[in-house]
Amino acid sequence: MTGGCMWLKSRILLLGCSLLYGMSVWADNYELPILEHTFDNGLRLLVIERPREQRVVSKIFTDMGALNEVPGEYGAAHFLEHLMFKGTPTLGSLDWERESQIHEQIRATEDALTEELNRARNDLRQRGVFHDYRHAETTPRIEELRALIDSLNAQAQELSEEGPMKVWYQAFGGTRSTATTEQEYMKFDVDLPASRVDLFLRVEADRMQNSIFRNFDAERMVLVEQRLGDLNRPETEFREAMNSLVGRASMVYIPEGYANDFEQYTRRYERELYETYFVPNNTTLIFIGGVTLREMVPLVEEYFGHMQRAPEPKRYQGREPLPSGEKRLTWRSDTLSPRVEVRYQIPAVGHPDRPAFDVLSVAFAEDLQQRLTAAGIAGAVDINTRVVHTSRFGVPASINVELKLSDADDAMAAESLLLAALAQLSKTALPEEDVAWAKKSVRTEWYRTAADPNALAFQIGHFETMDSWKTLKPYLEARDAVTPEDLRRLADRYFIAKNRSIGVVLPEEESQ
Amino acid sequence: MRTLPLLLLLLACSAWPQVLTDPRDMALPDTGFSRPDPTDYELVLENGLHAYIARADQVPLVTMSAFVRAGKVNDTAPGAAEALADALQRGGTADMNAGEFAETLRLMTADFVVEMHDEWTEVSLNVPTEDFDQALALFSEVLRNPQISGTNIERAGAGAGAESADLGGESGAALYEGSMNDAVAHLRDIVYEGHAFADHPGPGDFERLGPSDVASFHRRYFVPGNTTIAVAGRVDVDTVNTRLADQLSDWEAAPVPPVEQQTAIKLKRRALHHYPARKLQSWLVIGHALPDLPLEDRAAFDVMTYIVGAYHLNTRLMRETRYKYGYTNDASAFVDEQWFGPGIYSFRSYSRPEVIKSIYQNMMGELERTRREEVSDREMFVAKGALTDGLFPVRYLDGYTLTRSLALEKLRYGNHQRSASYVDRVRKVTKRDVLNVAQKYLQLENMQIVLVGEEAFAIE
Repeated sequence: MTGGCMWLKSRILLLGCSLLYGMSVWADNYELPILEHTFDNGLRLLVIERPREQRVVSKIFTDMGALNEVPGEYGAAHFLEHLMFKGTPTLGSLDWERESQIHEQIRATEDALTEELNRARNDLRQRGVFHDYRHAETTPRIEELRALIDSLNAQAQELSEEGPMKVWYQAFGGTRSTATTEQEYMKFDVDLPASRVDLFLRVEADRMQNSIFRNFDAERMVLVEQRLGDLNRPETEFREAMNSLVGRASMVYIPEGYANDFEQYTRRYERELYETYFVPNNTTLIFIGGVTLREMVPLVEEYFGHMQRAPEPKRYQGREPLPSGEKRLTWRSDTLSPRVEVRYQIPAVGHPDRPAFDVLSVAFAEDLQQRLTAAGIAGAVDINTRVVHTSRFGVPASINVELKLSDADDAMAAESLLLAALAQLSKTALPEEDVAWAKKSVRTEWYRTAADPNALAFQIGHFETMDSWKTLKPYLEARDAVTPEDLRRLADRYFIAKNRSIGVVLPEEESQ
Repeated sequence: MRTLPLLLLLLACSAWPQVLTDPRDMALPDTGFSRPDPTDYELVLENGLHAYIARADQVPLVTMSAFVRAGKVNDTAPGAAEALADALQRGGTADMNAGEFAETLRLMTADFVVEMHDEWTEVSLNVPTEDFDQALALFSEVLRNPQISGTNIERAGAGAGAESADLGGESGAALYEGSMNDAVAHLRDIVYEGHAFADHPGPGDFERLGPSDVASFHRRYFVPGNTTIAVAGRVDVDTVNTRLADQLSDWEAAPVPPVEQQTAIKLKRRALHHYPARKLQSWLVIGHALPDLPLEDRAAFDVMTYIVGAYHLNTRLMRETRYKYGYTNDASAFVDEQWFGPGIYSFRSYSRPEVIKSIYQNMMGELERTRREEVSDREMFVAKGALTDGLFPVRYLDGYTLTRSLALEKLRYGNHQRSASYVDRVRKVTKRDVLNVAQKYLQLENMQIVLVGEEAFAIE
């Protein structure tokens, strides 16, 4: 931002915005009276004004996530989110002059550790598949350097406070203070009394520019905890195997880090991610509640106006090879219920076909459940578009048709039934009333989302990182316009053998 | 907002440094929150039914909820409450069988939930506004005339319920729960051993139970004076008032069952209860019975609990487990209150097995410190601000939360005096008050320590 009186220009633009968005959309199905302002430094501000409300939902979205990681560092974006709770020189430090010197020493020690890890690489790296080949775990120099980092970290801890970013939100009435990192975004958020929205700007601008990665190695273990939590679920490894079966190149199918990745993160790499992506022209602020765009523009200027537009971070452009053959996974497990699952790659948000898959998921699930029951197969149908933890993406992902079975002996019959139903779906349109009900169902689901301003703000931010916030309303309207013939056409185009991945879960004993 | 001084600043300079004011020096204004006046939302019918109605305009949905002061602890025929919960959820009404009922809900794309707690029950229906009239009629019928059959008893006896989802939603919030629910259930069984709150019906009880027993339970408790209603959504309030009167005025008034005060619990000596589980993590729940909190202790207790372990926030438990050492993803305090009897006060965490003992020691250390010495000024500042400007106001955030909070308060206490005075009571809490309630309600020698995981550890 080069400074100056940007808000005057904004006010003029705002008048136009108000006429365009203000009243005209309030009365229709999907009320999204979003007001937008883009600052000179590229920072985007989105506001839904609700003048009668005393609180404001506040979110800051950054267009980066797991898609931007590199192999060997999976989960690094999620880890960065954790590190960005560790404070700044002005939030959390008791003596920044002394503390900063220690952080410099830690960085230098970490560089030396990297050199030693590289030097000893041939002794340290895994050689065997089944952990049947003994490789070295460490070297004396590695231990020495790690001990030095621990010691320096302990000194830094003496000079800083724990949890400095959340505490002020708590003290001034903030609720739902969270952060999330998925494949395509990282966001920090809090709901505040509207009259205290400045606090959000104060904290988030500081977090965006001045984060100190305090207590790095302890926080690394929190990620391990979260990963263990995932792995405690018997579904996790199966779902990850299915993800890797579906996609060959796209980063969208990669989980948030394997155990090996957690050991690899370095301050240097995290700093590189931070400095590359946390720039104003890669950032969107979203507010819903008792504030106005007119008030927010100068306030945002005050806290973010000094930031310079940065070189555009490289956006993820990975492209999945064309589907070229049916793939199959047989998974043996006594802890996971037997199931048959068929996945197909589907287009991304931003593609005209994508909205109809939401309707198809609901309509076909009903149809499939009836077929299953009629065939005397005990089981439950779940059709979803979830990959890792997210259900919509700005890049192609998958639709997952899952049949959870009560009896593994039904697996073969269930698979035949499922494939026959999918084949018929591409030939015969679903009944009009079933599609009408499915459309009502997804519409009601949206209303339930939008009833919560926090969830609504998330959807706006998510669409902004997937495509554009302006896509959200057309996306919802496109679902309402879907016809049975549209669904038949989708099935015919996408539900083809070459685009199919099949997973079957059977008990262990059958393989013995 | 400080727009005028800012404008002057902007006019005066072409570039400026980052604003890094200490949050305490930001002169953030008072929130101006005051609890809404219940009478602005209240409808009282002649049969004694109290309803709270508010408009919530954002989307064309409406939620209607009924709260009934009756739960699992109140049934005279064991299992009747559980069977009634099933009948309310899936049985239909006198005029509509279960299949028709399910299909009607499906066509409305309704979200229909019945939750029966120990001492109260919630029946809640959320539908698009276009279906409001039909939904309210159905809702009223379910409350007044649920169809009760042997099927409901069989299903309740089999423990038939909705399967819990095996994955979290997009937020992934459910991903880290693991076996925590098991550990909490074990603590509950230990604390309530021999108490009415632990009195679960067995298979034999359901075999002996008949539909008339369930109907009798329903007749006794599901009466207008023992029920409150909350309605919120994009609906005209006057229209809702009229519709509610149409549907529920002829619900016959009946004697309101007296409050059944449950007996107190004698605290047990501290003990470790280990439940072996082959998992990648261990789950730790430390807790004991919590007596009824008198009004004069409530605010200080809330402040103390916030300082110790407000959920997943910057608290003593989080600092000494996660923030400093990376032992766990979470360590927090939980207050599971009952309405008319002892609740459970617990502290929960989970981790890889090798650090679970350290977590236990650090958590107990913080609880002991809270009993031993006064909290800091800053902790008081944070907790009071969080409670009075955050957690309490959001109970009245919109029509949905507002009507729900008022309806529950009315049903439990019979009035709205507690919520009216809450903010003032919290503001008056002193560090000495916090120390007093810590010494009164944190009983370390009586902590029951539940560990679900591979290996146990010795406790001092």
